[in-house]
Amino acid sequence: MSLSDQELERYSRQLVLPEWSGAAQEQLKSATVVVVGAGALGSPVATYLAGAGVGRLAIVDPDPVELSNLSRQFLHFTPDIEMNKAESAAAKISFLNPEVIAESYPARVEEDNAASIFLGADVVVDCTDTFESRYVINDACCAIGLPLVEGGVLGLAGMVMSIRPGESACYRCAFPTPPPDDAVPTCQEAGVLGPVAGVVGSIEALEALKLLTGFAEPLTDRILQIDDGGTTQLLVRTSRRDGCPACARVPAATQSP
Amino acid sequence: MTSTLDLTGVPCPMNWVRTKLALESLEPGEELSVALDDGEPIESVPRSAREDGHEVTVQGNIVNIVKR
Repeated sequence: MSLSDQELERYSRQLVLPEWSGAAQEQLKSATVVVVGAGALGSPVATYLAGAGVGRLAIVDPDPVELSNLSRQFLHFTPDIEMNKAESAAAKISFLNPEVIAESYPARVEEDNAASIFLGADVVVDCTDTFESRYVINDACCAIGLPLVEGGVLGLAGMVMSIRPGESACYRCAFPTPPPDDAVPTCQEAGVLGPVAGVVGSIEALEALKLLTGFAEPLTDRILQIDDGGTTQLLVRTSRRDGCPACARVPAATQSP
Repeated sequence: MTSTLDLTGVPCPMNWVRTKLALESLEPGEELSVALDDGEPIESVPRSAREDGHEVTVQGNIVNIVKR
């Protein structure tokens, strides 16, 4: 797979990086990434991955754009209100980079449809906002040995971790049991400040690029914990858990760059 | 065998992008000879090539790079 003159120019500012290469760029071009959630995390993730030259982006979100989303979900604009978020995001991505195949899936990822939505993906990036969906996405990725970037944001805090099922700790290894329903405030109760989600989403995008190209060491077996809106960051070690119901019996992924 | 690349008229940083990609397709020890414009291009491309660890010599507006 070769890169056109237009592509060389579009990606020139990353191609000049000593850590980057034409081979990495071609790996991105042939890659498919599923972005689950086209909100505050999905906006930076889809934008940066499309900008960087990921060949195919599948954007999944069941919800319509709401006025209260626009403070942070920057792929959506005021005239998009009531439009499905996945469709709204995919349309902007096509404007940003017509070289990218941007597909929209107006659906919620659930146990019974996850495998079909993730079919053909090289990496999944979780940009959802509930614990329930994180476990569903984690378990589905573990079951098919698909690398996953997990991220979450609440208030001024957030976290990111990368998962290579069968090789590194999965989300369930790190957090074996979901918190009780009433212990966690929803985004609506706790509030969220746009740039904090931008920080977390940007790191998720970076992790996806690492998993796809191997240009740098991803946050596997480590959780990056972000506090105070990004000014405090803590790396927490984690490891695979014996008998983890999600990943204990997963064979290591067949392809890792 | 030396590969050649005429990048006169190609501004920075696209000249380095093309040089770097051409180097990627070579084996270590193989040579690449690149023609560049005077000024910024002939100053910055050799510098980038050296920073990437290649062996670089400059004669006029021609840069010879031995891939590391």
